[in-house]
Amino acid sequence: MIMHEPTVFIVDDDAAVRDSLMLMIEQADIHVQAFEHASAFLSAYHPDFFGCIIIDVRMPGMDGLRLQEELTWRKIALPVIFLTGHGDIPMSVRAIKGGAVDFLTKPVIREKLLVCVRAAFAEAGKRISDIARNKEMMSCLMKLTGREREVMTLAVQGHTNKEIASCLGISHRTVEIHKSKIMQKTGACNLLDLARIVRECDSDE
Amino acid sequence: MITVPRNLSFVTMFEAAADAMVLAEGSGHIVLANPAAQQLFGYSADELSGLAIEILIVPRYRKQYRYHQELFLNKPAQRSMGAGNELMVLSRDGKEMLLDISLSPIRVQQQLYVLITFNDVNRRLDVEEALRVSEERLRLAKQAAGLGIFDYDIKRNIIYWDKQMRKLWGEPSETTVSYDEFVARIHPEDRAARQTVIEYAMNPAGNGEFKAEYRIVDPINSSERWISARGRVYFEAGCANRLIGVTRDVTEQKNIQKKLQVQRDETENILKQQIAARTASAIAHELNQPLAAISAYSEVALHAIHNDGFTSDSLKRALEGCVEQAQRAGRSLHELLAFLQKGELVTERLNLNDLIRDTLTIVSNDGYGKFYLALHLQQNLPAVQCNRIQVQKVLVNLFRNADEAMRAVDLPTITVTTQVENMNGTNRALVIVQDNGPGLGAVVAKRIFEPFFTTKPAGIGMGLAISRALIETNGGHLWLDPDTQSGAKFHFTLPFSP
Repeated sequence: MIMHEPTVFIVDDDAAVRDSLMLMIEQADIHVQAFEHASAFLSAYHPDFFGCIIIDVRMPGMDGLRLQEELTWRKIALPVIFLTGHGDIPMSVRAIKGGAVDFLTKPVIREKLLVCVRAAFAEAGKRISDIARNKEMMSCLMKLTGREREVMTLAVQGHTNKEIASCLGISHRTVEIHKSKIMQKTGACNLLDLARIVRECDSDE
Repeated sequence: MITVPRNLSFVTMFEAAADAMVLAEGSGHIVLANPAAQQLFGYSADELSGLAIEILIVPRYRKQYRYHQELFLNKPAQRSMGAGNELMVLSRDGKEMLLDISLSPIRVQQQLYVLITFNDVNRRLDVEEALRVSEERLRLAKQAAGLGIFDYDIKRNIIYWDKQMRKLWGEPSETTVSYDEFVARIHPEDRAARQTVIEYAMNPAGNGEFKAEYRIVDPINSSERWISARGRVYFEAGCANRLIGVTRDVTEQKNIQKKLQVQRDETENILKQQIAARTASAIAHELNQPLAAISAYSEVALHAIHNDGFTSDSLKRALEGCVEQAQRAGRSLHELLAFLQKGELVTERLNLNDLIRDTLTIVSNDGYGKFYLALHLQQNLPAVQCNRIQVQKVLVNLFRNADEAMRAVDLPTITVTTQVENMNGTNRALVIVQDNGPGLGAVVAKRIFEPFFTTKPAGIGMGLAISRALIETNGGHLWLDPDTQSGAKFHFTLPFSP
């Protein structure tokens, strides 16, 4: 995967707020790109976008929380930082519950903004590597034969070798051979590890 | 000596009698009918002759007539007929008449005749009936409306009252009561206001109308009833002589009103709070945006100075942004103020003293007004030129504040004064509203007109700020007297009508 320089994407309807924040972030030698409203960002979005997104909670049209929902629905994994005014506390709570990594109160302090952005970048990196690892595990699972997948499904559900053997109508010894192949192909060190891999891949599908 | 004319016969007298008379045989057939009878029944003399008396009786009364006739024949004596001495008779054209009928026996040569006299009672009864009906109607109406009637003899200082009022006052037997005893039952808090209204009504220059609401207290169980009284003062030789009027028990109505008022107040308060919260939030947002930008630009500028010196592009851009955003904030504020002050003011000529009295009624109807009143209203105060609703709002607000401030005071009293005030050579109306509550400390007094400043737990702190704005819109001033020893003393002025 090609790694771009991490970028801060700003979505705020207020031109002055947008401009001043861009200036502040540029000054810290961080790439920044600003959008006037939610749909402008969504139509410009490309899967290669990497970094974090700063969203104003209060915006005409699609507001910040709706944009956050939209990002989740589209599986856009950019960590979200919300910009709120005073008295937007209930909104902030919803934002955090919706998976926002942080929120900043206007007026924004430079130091806090940069700390937040760096933390969000770290989170973005983690999310990217998680996705990469998932993809890798996914391809491992793809290497399994049909029978191996049947054995794996039953095994992670907690059935004993004997039960699996009688369920699939094969010998106890064959089940053992399938299982060692499965462990080899997925790189799982034990049954618990295998169960985790299966779950993570399932949830991502 | 009186001599009886010799040639005066029975028939002459019979014919001349004003009452309708009929001579009948014992069998009930008419022998003679005088002209009055002919006219009453609408038959000619010939037609009546030989006619059965029964024909002249309304059919449904004939049985009764026969019964009486039989009694009469068995024991002939002069008598009247019918339970109320009345019988319904029937004229030729079918008109029913209520008549008093008397039967007198006349014996001529062993033959029994009956002289029947018809007394026209209709007219008398009609009048009696009409009076009875009208009295009954009045009584029912009074009862239905729960009205009591009183007649206050001002010179003798006593009150005549009816049963309904005596019942309300818990004095069922006394038909008169001294004025002082009458007033003794009135709730102490309501006496002053009622007295003010009575004095106003007794002013010979006025129209004498009296309208008051007050509570009376049961001496035994201390329960309170709300009374609404209306009446009129009658003058004699330019002097108040009598006050006659009605009273009504309006306790239930008051209770419902009070409940509604509490609900209305709550709703209005919530609404006001929401409006205030939203307005404040909108203002905050309008100002926070440019502030946020200015803050960010400033930090960029500072950072630029530290790192790149005074020549960098970002320094220039940041400072330009600061200037622009500060101006934007100022513009937002001006627009906001212009928005709040839009709308043209409609003013009228107003009698300020009347407006104060009306407003006190409103305040007391709203469940406030448990205070004594001292009105020092300057007579013949010229009319002011202002918006009635706005000035009334200010008065209501001042009275309510005063009332709330006096909750812990033994004899809560609001003193309202009106007078002409000369200010820089111009005459203006001055209104002073003073309470005898704890007053306002210097710190509170300083901030009392600030928006959102309040000393009340559930208040939003807009009342006095709005009041001051309203008075100023009407061309006056509203201020707090800083020097009062006890209680808060608010003054406001209004321009006189040109």
